[in-house]
Amino acid sequence: MSLVATRPGPGESRPYTFPDIQRVSVAGGEVVAAHLPGQHLATAALLLDAGGARESAGREGTATVLAKCLEEGTTTRDSAAYALALEGLGAELSTSVDWDSFRVGVSVPVALLPRAVTLLAEAARTPRLDPADVARVRDDEVTALRMDWAQPGPRADAALRMDLFGAAERYGRPLHGDPTSVAAVTVEDVTAFHESWLKRPGVLLVAGDLDQLDLAELGAAAFAGATGEPTAPAGPLGVPIATGRRVLLVDRPGSVQSTLRLGHRAPERANPDYVAMTLVATVLGGAFTSRLNHLIREVKGYTYGIRSDFAMTRRFGRFGISTSVQTAVTAPALTDTIGEVTRTRLDGVTEEELEVARTWRAGQLTVDMQTSGSIAGALATLVVHGLPDDYYATLRRSLLDATVAEVSAAAARHLHPDGLTVVVEGDAAVIRDELVAGGLGEVVDAEV
Amino acid sequence: MSAQPAPVAETGYPWPIETARLDNGLRVVVSEDHTAPVVCVNLWYDVGSRHEPAGQTGFAHLFEHLMFEGSVHVAKTEHMRLIQGSGGSLNATTNPDRTNYFETLPVEHLELGLWLEADRMGGLVPALTQETLDNQREVVKNERRQRYDNVPYGDAWLRLLPLLYPPGHPYHHATIGSMEDLNAASLETFKAFHQQYYAPNNAVLTVAGDVTPAEVFALAEKYFGALESVSDIPPAPRGHITGAATEPIRETVTGKVPAPRVYLSHRTHPFGTAGYDAITVLATVLGSGRGSRLYQRLADGARIAQPDYIGAYGVDLAHAPAPLIVTATAKDGVDAERLAAGVAEVLDSMATEPVTEAELERAKALLTTSWWRQMSTVGGRADTLSRYATQFGDATSAAYRLPQWQSVTAGDILDAARTLNPESRVTLTYLPDEGTDQ
Repeated sequence: MSLVATRPGPGESRPYTFPDIQRVSVAGGEVVAAHLPGQHLATAALLLDAGGARESAGREGTATVLAKCLEEGTTTRDSAAYALALEGLGAELSTSVDWDSFRVGVSVPVALLPRAVTLLAEAARTPRLDPADVARVRDDEVTALRMDWAQPGPRADAALRMDLFGAAERYGRPLHGDPTSVAAVTVEDVTAFHESWLKRPGVLLVAGDLDQLDLAELGAAAFAGATGEPTAPAGPLGVPIATGRRVLLVDRPGSVQSTLRLGHRAPERANPDYVAMTLVATVLGGAFTSRLNHLIREVKGYTYGIRSDFAMTRRFGRFGISTSVQTAVTAPALTDTIGEVTRTRLDGVTEEELEVARTWRAGQLTVDMQTSGSIAGALATLVVHGLPDDYYATLRRSLLDATVAEVSAAAARHLHPDGLTVVVEGDAAVIRDELVAGGLGEVVDAEV
Repeated sequence: MSAQPAPVAETGYPWPIETARLDNGLRVVVSEDHTAPVVCVNLWYDVGSRHEPAGQTGFAHLFEHLMFEGSVHVAKTEHMRLIQGSGGSLNATTNPDRTNYFETLPVEHLELGLWLEADRMGGLVPALTQETLDNQREVVKNERRQRYDNVPYGDAWLRLLPLLYPPGHPYHHATIGSMEDLNAASLETFKAFHQQYYAPNNAVLTVAGDVTPAEVFALAEKYFGALESVSDIPPAPRGHITGAATEPIRETVTGKVPAPRVYLSHRTHPFGTAGYDAITVLATVLGSGRGSRLYQRLADGARIAQPDYIGAYGVDLAHAPAPLIVTATAKDGVDAERLAAGVAEVLDSMATEPVTEAELERAKALLTTSWWRQMSTVGGRADTLSRYATQFGDATSAAYRLPQWQSVTAGDILDAARTLNPESRVTLTYLPDEGTDQ
């Protein structure tokens, strides 16, 4: 064996630059575009202020049903003709609904983008929304959700969300609704949601070789016939933390694993601790080498993987840990997991761990942003959170400059191990006694 | 001719490709692209679950896990820490054909990536301990529970393979392996596995990104050049099968699933052949997108299938006739029999109703976009080049796949469809357990 024994150091660092951003106002809307010279594919996405937060109580899932209805034909052609026209370009409509936005996008070879955007706008602005089609799509969505909810995870997520935000708050209910709320969505709900929120111009995001694209032409197609003004976003929700830990038990008889979700509230995305919080979650459970994955997977062998993160939107944040462990080790896995959260809050992070976390997060900006789709996603973040064009360069520097003191302080401020809601979805008959004896918190059966 | 033919690509790989072979047999492929300061290091080892003898199923994949647990100059878990600490992303996968390892890094860390890969290619065995094996065995068993055993329909692939391939065939068993075999895995077996297969002359190293070929060839020589080749790598087990199956096979599973689902499957042709290119286009016409026949006729049309769970795809295996899988899940009130009959009717229509020009153009346009999506990252490009170098002996042959898809004719699809006759079909049906609420 003749291996090189000495680990090589890094070569000379080559600067990363986020693609040049161009903004064009046209036809009452704004085009925000990133230049990717030489890319074969280009992506365009219409970003609308029509996220899940806009839905009415008890009708959660309305936006998702509408998203699926957009391809059920338009005022000028039926669904089969629309599918052939769009897919004949090699494009498929990708729709997504999150808390803050509704997005409709296409990715195609760059020369075909103008035709794909015209078809995208046709579906988003002038869907046929035939009542029989809407009802059928709604029923299909109920069935699809029931399929999804038969998997481990969605019920545990719903129990956690409900406990953290409360049933009265839209954020206390699942983002895409549940089988019951979607079944309650009416044709009128869907058409009214479209009328209220999908006719405003919004923002067209474009990522591709701009030397081959006319942004004004794309914007004119995307904003044709759009009317209405943007609405001012509502303020943040605050960060109430529970005074004691609770264990919610979601029964899944016969389950060979327990699905674990732990969480508490956190600040919204605009919080000045955003970068430090990202690094806290990375050290704790955001990377393969993190504390949780090291202990629960690599040392104990309890799981295939475990992760933690701060999910942060315009109005709220949520600290969360998720994993699945074999049933027999449910209680010890929870004890170890909570132990690592407590240790991180009390003792902060080490320079060695932080060095990995900050260079990883900064390097990921380089590694992740290679495709037109990922760049379009980065543009969406800029628009939704009102960030400046030099944001990604600034973010990279902030990550690399973060100190142990700053990140440890953020851990102490934003981790609350004693206020965690602990959801266990598993075989209750097998694990209940052990959970009660474990003394992690009051054990309550969750109604999901 | 259609009014708007899909643009025909002359090549699917318009980036430069340079190749070299070290004296120890390691093939090195370099694809230069200075668009962004990023590089991917990708290694394919020509060993997969097809090499596993009876009683050792799951070993190739469990071994892949062990490759992250340290080698002579790399401490346990240090591999991940060093890559992530450099801003990199990494992973590895095992399938029936091969095992691949890859990391995408900011380019200044290229040398680190090569050093780590060389250290575990040449120096894994001395670092391998019983403790590591025991721990990773538990991780893999949890992976099996999480991905296959605890998920509705999660074991479909595990059930289809033994129905499609006879006992003793290298594709008869699934890569994840059986719990019994994993429990029986001994440390000595794994040491021998590494010595046998993880040799420079059984691997392809591809580097794609912000580099020059001269620089990569010199670094490859520096880190891998002194590793010894292995002279007695046993030949891979034969995957040859004469023709399609001659009797239909049906299996029905009753279990905790929310709705009836069917899988119709055939052995077709090996990946990389003209026959399989026709199957790839056929599968796209049949089951990819809302304009596909399955969607139009069963999700729309007859409305017996759930729109989110219908499709057809080939599994790109190269060492024996690869499977085509067609699947659909019943809507409420539709029984499995009606669903299976509907899916079979649409599949059979490929042999009786020639594809139209519009269907063909749609399929080729979708395949073109998916090809360029795969090519849009250095990671996607490096993996593709490693595949073609490993499986066809020539990285540059990757350039032909897209033009070959685009040259498939309606007649080629008809010929392919005629081999998918019901006499050679495997049908796997899932039924909800009576009394199980949803």
